[in-house]
Amino acid sequence: MNEASKGAGSVVYEARGLKKNYDGGQVAALRGVDFDIREGEFVAIVGPSGCGKSTLLQMLGSLDKPSEGSLSYRGRLISALEDPSDYRSTEIGFVFQSFHLLPTFTVSENVQIPMFETGLSRGEREVRAHELLVSVGLSHRLKHFPSELSGGERQRVAIARSLANRPSVLLADEPTGNLDSENAAHVVELLLKLHQELGMTLVLVTHDLGIAALATRTIRMKDGRVVDETTPLTHAS
Amino acid sequence: MTFFTVVVRGLIRRPVRTGLTLLGISIGIGAVVTLVGMSWGYEKSIGKQLDVIGIDVVVSNMSGGLMPKVFDETLQDKVAALPKVADTTTVLMLMLSIEDAPMMMVSGREWGGFTWEKLEVLEGRLPKDDKEFAVVLGKLAAEVLKKKVGDTVQIEADELPVVGIVDGHAVVENGAVILSLSVLQEISSNQGKVNFIDVRVPEGTPEKEVMELCETVNGLFPEGRAKLASEVVGTSQGYRLARAMSWSTSLLAIIVGVLGVMNTMLMTVFERTHEIGILLAVGWKRRRILYMVLCESALLGFLGGVTGVGLGALGLKILEFTPAIRGLLEPDLSPKLLLTSVAIAVVVGVVSGLYPGWRSSRLSPSRALNL
Repeated sequence: MNEASKGAGSVVYEARGLKKNYDGGQVAALRGVDFDIREGEFVAIVGPSGCGKSTLLQMLGSLDKPSEGSLSYRGRLISALEDPSDYRSTEIGFVFQSFHLLPTFTVSENVQIPMFETGLSRGEREVRAHELLVSVGLSHRLKHFPSELSGGERQRVAIARSLANRPSVLLADEPTGNLDSENAAHVVELLLKLHQELGMTLVLVTHDLGIAALATRTIRMKDGRVVDETTPLTHAS
Repeated sequence: MTFFTVVVRGLIRRPVRTGLTLLGISIGIGAVVTLVGMSWGYEKSIGKQLDVIGIDVVVSNMSGGLMPKVFDETLQDKVAALPKVADTTTVLMLMLSIEDAPMMMVSGREWGGFTWEKLEVLEGRLPKDDKEFAVVLGKLAAEVLKKKVGDTVQIEADELPVVGIVDGHAVVENGAVILSLSVLQEISSNQGKVNFIDVRVPEGTPEKEVMELCETVNGLFPEGRAKLASEVVGTSQGYRLARAMSWSTSLLAIIVGVLGVMNTMLMTVFERTHEIGILLAVGWKRRRILYMVLCESALLGFLGGVTGVGLGALGLKILEFTPAIRGLLEPDLSPKLLLTSVAIAVVVGVVSGLYPGWRSSRLSPSRALNL
């Protein structure tokens, strides 16, 4: 993790008047969103389908740019980053609903893919991938291809990949959306462990209010706007 | 896993398409190797012939076709009288269709000239004198024409007996029909005409002085050129035309190769939009994506080039033994040609990958992921 960039309770993300339009302004996915996310928080973004929560997460991950407004990461405007690949490579890890693993690469190779941008040697990449896969309980699957894994295992590979360059922020877009309840529970448990043990800032988009209840804060969205921000009274241990 | 692994995986995910593209490049590069190998081979063969005979300077009028135009043989006396000239001999060389062979070198040589010196008689004998209506065949020419001593060969309207089979120690010599100059002048209606004066200079003459001799001869013979033996082929307009045609055809083959690889790489990039989106999402720089696509297309080019060189070498070997070419030239399969061909294939690969690579590197990660 990038310790140097961390500060206790400091603002990691700051969004002001964030808007995103598609089709030349005919479709408004975000209609002016404001929020702050602080270091070490576990923020769940909830809301009905099409409310803009995944669009928001993609902007946090610099996969898309806002049409209007500002979005800063540790005080730097994400949209102004000259090369967002550095940010995506070293500052954040992304976990997707449909895993997005590369089918022609083994589990270990999938985890090594993000490390090409960090200057690690081949040996270092292999060792780190092995460690990460051990930590997600997949040490026996190193040489397997994604098609040979269950949904839960694939998502654990995706989580291991998201941690490849030791980011300080983990962005997860419906990480349990394609999993059965048992595998979903394992994945949530893993994400919570990362948040609690490593102190990672976790931003998670979900439909599942049960998972949202585990977050330190919930941002509720509707029609491209934040309609509510709550801090659950109780947290699952 | 190395970056090269990533590149190779990109190619083997569609083995049939990659294989077909490789085949396309191979055929293109094979054509380059074959055509250029023939062209270079011709140059090399003539060079070797001149070297074997020991010719230092060739006086001819190369403005014609593959063979130079004829001129008056009396020019020989003027050349022979020049300082730094040790010996001269005249030749009338014609490209003629002989019986079943579509094109054959027929070499009429001044009787007693040094061009007869290096002919080693394998069977029979040389003509008795410059008046004997007879030919000797280079050993390849004898094979191509299926002739032996005692047979006859028809040149133009005349039937001439074969009195000997010779080894001239060079492909062009061995592929030629050789006879006395005066006989060829008579049967081809070129009395008093030749198209080459071959010149020897004293041994050890510095090249600068040989060049000066060439300039002096050029003053005597304004419509022709005196050239160092090493340069003579390159100045032939016919040869230049053949060389230009071989390169033009090669260029067409290369363009077809470029389009084939570009099509494959565009298809690959299109199919892998989602995968490229993932790579961008996990932090790969756009230039690494570009580099990956370029490496894939360069590797495709390299493999196609290596296979194409093999195909081209095979093509040259086959052509070397076809009757139409046998004895006229020794195809060139030099390392220079092989390396040049592979280098061309790699350049073809890289050039073909530029647009697909640029296009893939410009993809929006969010859009690519949602496709």
